[in-house]
Amino acid sequence: MRKMLLCGAALALLSVAGLAPSALRAADLTSIAILTPEAGTDYGWNQQGIDAAKAAGAAAGVKVVVADNLGYGDVRPTLREMAEDGAGLIIAHASGYNTAAPEIGEEMKVPVAIVDRPDAKKPGAVADYTASGHEGAYLAGRLAAKMSKTGTVGIVVSGEPPSWNAQSSAFAEGAKAEKPGIAVRYAVIGPAAYSDAAGGKRVTEALIAAGADIIFGQGNGSSFGMLQAVETNKSTGGGPVYFIDVIGDKTPIDKGNLLSSVVWNLEPVYAAMIKDVKAGSYGTHNYDINLKDGSVKLLKTKHIPDDVWAQMEALKADVISGKIKVEAHFDADSVHKLVTALPTAQ
Amino acid sequence: MGALFTDAFLTSLVLGALTAGLPLLLAGLGEQISEKAGVLNIGIEGMMLMGAYLGFVVAYTTGSVWLGFLGGAVGGMAVALPMVVLCIRLGLNQIVIGIALTLGTEGLTALLHHFQFAQSYPRLPAVPTLPIPGLSELPVIGPALFDRPAIVYLAILAVFVTAYVFRSTQLGLALQAAGDKPAALDAAGVDVVNVRSFAVFTTGALAGVGGAFMAEVGAGIFVPFMTNGAGFIGIVLAMQARGNPFWVLAGALLFGACLSATTALQVAGVSIPTDVIQMLPFAAVLLVLVLFGRRASLPAALGTHYVRGAR
Repeated sequence: MRKMLLCGAALALLSVAGLAPSALRAADLTSIAILTPEAGTDYGWNQQGIDAAKAAGAAAGVKVVVADNLGYGDVRPTLREMAEDGAGLIIAHASGYNTAAPEIGEEMKVPVAIVDRPDAKKPGAVADYTASGHEGAYLAGRLAAKMSKTGTVGIVVSGEPPSWNAQSSAFAEGAKAEKPGIAVRYAVIGPAAYSDAAGGKRVTEALIAAGADIIFGQGNGSSFGMLQAVETNKSTGGGPVYFIDVIGDKTPIDKGNLLSSVVWNLEPVYAAMIKDVKAGSYGTHNYDINLKDGSVKLLKTKHIPDDVWAQMEALKADVISGKIKVEAHFDADSVHKLVTALPTAQ
Repeated sequence: MGALFTDAFLTSLVLGALTAGLPLLLAGLGEQISEKAGVLNIGIEGMMLMGAYLGFVVAYTTGSVWLGFLGGAVGGMAVALPMVVLCIRLGLNQIVIGIALTLGTEGLTALLHHFQFAQSYPRLPAVPTLPIPGLSELPVIGPALFDRPAIVYLAILAVFVTAYVFRSTQLGLALQAAGDKPAALDAAGVDVVNVRSFAVFTTGALAGVGGAFMAEVGAGIFVPFMTNGAGFIGIVLAMQARGNPFWVLAGALLFGACLSATTALQVAGVSIPTDVIQMLPFAAVLLVLVLFGRRASLPAALGTHYVRGAR
């Protein structure tokens, strides 16, 4: 019995010792780091992550170290370097980093934030922020159906990560709710074709030829190819083709085809992470974004008539109040079933 | 579903296949020339990427697509230069240097793009096309194949020129000897190092034009990492083509056609998991490799450094 008690005490001491580094870091969090696969100037995923981290860090008085443009390969050396440089929280801002980051986080005893792995949550060590703007994407679907002249809208994605699946399915649901007879065409550019701008243009042109006059595009660098396709092609009805972007605001580079964007603001997410690290409660829950707190919003552009925008505002209020329920479907199968279930011809 | 497959949609699919396949054709053709001369050019992805970057920059600043393609060729040759110096002249490992060149070019082009275009993301206007009288009016394939930018026809012509050079010229013979029996070529009084250097620079030029095509015609914009592995697919095409440029053409068009087929299947709402559909181009290339590549014979001296007088 005495031996068992001693063993128990030793195990307790070991577990306390194991938690000690993160607890120490929590007490004196002075620096956080964010790693992104592409440049922080893409008016999208990467820029949103970096800008939000800087804003959250500034608000909390914490230094933010940025390592961007790292590509989609092995980032373990960069993760180690960030940890050695004193980062008390590392935000691994790419689904492709969600295996390496927890590994290095455990090795270096630094808490990490990852995406697309909600199951990987671990107290003191790992939290997920598979943020989904599905509520905003639902509104974008309603908007697209209202604005489409051809009765066909398209979804182009450069991969099928969970957050994009949630937005794709919400967009299709929104379009269908607005106009039950609408056709929603869906195509993936390629496996993890995030920077394949030529592929983005090629697939978007195919969807335009299939009748789509509103394209809901989700892709990092590839979204510039999608934008190029809508700018250089007319719809099958002879009118302009419009683009609905996600995450960022491409208004500064718009040539007249940007209809809207499901804009994310990750600052509240990162601010909550910093707060949790300081409080020692990091890793006890995951993080999300929503319409209610303004971390997701639909972008208003000059191409949206005022009366349509007023309708969108009313729909937004209904989503926030719960009158319209928008569920997030993170799996690709849900997207395929939903799109396949839609009419295939006009 | 029948209403989906309109002429416009089918045309876009055929056009998509051609647009996706052409950079692969140029990369594969370039790789084939290097391999023929005994140089395993793993750096072709980097040559394409630099070609894409420089091609875009020149086309954007001058407003000339042709100067853009020339810029792309120069960009590809600039990346080929270290390969020539380090591998052919100094005898360093071709695979290691090739990978280093690709990684280095990825970083360099991303950095240059960051400072030049990261805030503005300029896009090019559509490249003018050259319709072929009679053929361009054909339904579906007419606008997709015979109303294309002139560079497309030149790329196809390059296949015939390469085949002619391989089969019927002294240069073709020298390239083959540099890859198979460099000592024999040396004994015949031809400088092996010069022949191999010429081959690698030609590869750089072709791959660079392929990259420039992606940026100018394929996307109308340059973004970092945009070649997305096309150079490596070009290497596979060259290896399965067994020294025959027409097999490179067939492989590149097959890959492009499969990419278009994946889009068609998805747009039609075919109930197959996307991952399976996305595997189609790669599976098709693998299948062709298994069926037709078994008798592939690579040059005997491929990847080896030639030293005059060494045994």
